[in-house]
Amino acid sequence: MKFLNNMTLGQYVPVESPVHHLDPRCKIVAVLFCLVGIFMVRGPLGFVMWGLFFLALVGASRIPARLVLSTVKPVWILVAFTAAIHLFFTGGEPVFSWGILEVTREGVVMAARMGLRLMLLIMFAGLLTLTTSPTELADGLESLFSPLRRFGFPAHELAMMMTIALRFIPTLLNETERIMKAQIARGAELERGGPLKRLRAFIPVLVPLFVIVFQRADDLATAMEARNYTGGEGRTRMNPLEWTAGDSAAFVFSLLFSFLAVFLDGRVTLP
Amino acid sequence: MSIAVRDLVHIYHPGSPLQTKALDGVTFEAERGSWVAVVGHTGSGKSTLAQHLNGLLLPTEGSVSVDDIQVRHGEESLRKVRQKVGLVFQYPEQQLFEETVFKEVSFGPRNWGFQAGRLEKSVEEALELVGIGEDLYEANPFRLSGGQKRRVAIASTLSSDPDYLVMDEPTAGLDSPGRRQLLGLLSDLKKLGKGIIHITHDMELALGLADSILVLDEGKSTLWGPPGVILGELLERDIRGLVIPDLVRFAGRLRDLGFEVPLTWEPKILAEAIGRSHGR
Ligand SMILES: Nc1ncnc2c1ncn2[C@@H]1O[C@H](COP(=O)(O)OP(=O)(O)O)[C@@H](O)[C@H]1O
Ligand SMILES: [Mg+2]
Repeated sequence: MKFLNNMTLGQYVPVESPVHHLDPRCKIVAVLFCLVGIFMVRGPLGFVMWGLFFLALVGASRIPARLVLSTVKPVWILVAFTAAIHLFFTGGEPVFSWGILEVTREGVVMAARMGLRLMLLIMFAGLLTLTTSPTELADGLESLFSPLRRFGFPAHELAMMMTIALRFIPTLLNETERIMKAQIARGAELERGGPLKRLRAFIPVLVPLFVIVFQRADDLATAMEARNYTGGEGRTRMNPLEWTAGDSAAFVFSLLFSFLAVFLDGRVTLP
Repeated sequence: MSIAVRDLVHIYHPGSPLQTKALDGVTFEAERGSWVAVVGHTGSGKSTLAQHLNGLLLPTEGSVSVDDIQVRHGEESLRKVRQKVGLVFQYPEQQLFEETVFKEVSFGPRNWGFQAGRLEKSVEEALELVGIGEDLYEANPFRLSGGQKRRVAIASTLSSDPDYLVMDEPTAGLDSPGRRQLLGLLSDLKKLGKGIIHITHDMELALGLADSILVLDEGKSTLWGPPGVILGELLERDIRGLVIPDLVRFAGRLRDLGFEVPLTWEPKILAEAIGRSHGR
């Protein structure tokens, strides 16, 4: 039985690597630059550059390539669908037709472009969460958003909520699997019939899950209050963020690389 | 008629960084009408083994068969096995979801397609076995006390009339009257001819109640046999996470000093033996 074993998106893989050691703020902002850069390239040179950069990053992060690839797994249908739409619905010079479907040269180019773009976007974002623990990620976001605090933006609260939510995802998956198994042991058939029947069949899983989630939330709130948690003001941190020379270097490099990729890509136009 | 487990190996998430070998060559047999205790430290693979006994997990290697039905892929055989082997998870009260106790306990038999007359009868019998009276049939399960919830959950497995009952640490979190009552229920079920597979980390309980004991250590079945034999082995070597009852240690020490007393975990037997050796 497979259940929920194939979730990789948003999973942290704790290994020692230079990428893991970077400051989360550096990684978050650098990834944003990269995402913008990926969006702006259109031609083969640009994609080759981003692809190579990505491979180098994966190598440096010491994360098995298979795991990185599997970040695309949950959304590959989306990628395929996007590519297919562009393949069949882009007007231009026909190269192939099949019934009412017509594939144009422009369509092939657009499909490749959009598919690659989407995959690169997902994999770059995936690499961020594969190499950054949820706590670091939340700390990084809080720190990045903290200038907005003076306008009343709840940076700390949002980061804390995100930490808790991320912290709870694995627990939630485990609990779901456990309840599903318990109901299957009582003869429940969760995977048969049409959508409506399946939805109904899931009630025995959903009700206990809600009860457990509320209990956990309540326990957590009690535990936090018992330890005098009162919000963001004046809290010290376990692992204060520290921006090093390496972070500056990585930051500047990814910024320059993004510009370079977009610039060179613009000079090499498609035939 | 038995559940036979041969050289069972289970690997979670094979081929990923999370790969874990939870069971590593487990062999034992549980007959109808007998009580098998599975004992081992936390993480020794007890819960994983439990899920193999009714096909919630399938062997990576080795085999599990229930009354000669192989547990393997295939809807038909899996459903047959699941109906024969009732599995009560740890903290089973967390699986409750219905509006009334009666509906909750009917969930299993309904899924197995029990006909109208048989359904009511088996639900009533199950509730009677666990000591839930008719006055609670229409009660909301979520409003019951902890011990009552546990009993309703167990009844909801019993109502499917399984031939074997696998209980994963059923006494966890119960007070001592609740514990005694539950163990009494297991004895009753054994007398009714059901095979009991009782998962626990309490060696003393296992020694006192089981016909055979399986000791798991890091996924291996290191010991398998009747309580007397297991006890002798336990005194010979240390097994991680297993506490030998004080009385047994005491009896062993007496024997080392030359007293002729049996290795026992029962105060009465030990007292009588000491009495005899003093001519009383
Ligand atoms: N769903 C799972 N996925 C991955 N590893 C698991 C899973 N369930 C249990 N394990 C691992 O398998 C081993 C045995 O666990 P378990 O069968 O729960 O032992 P026990 O019930 O004796 O405490 C442990 O190392 C545990 O971490
Ligand atoms: Mg367990």
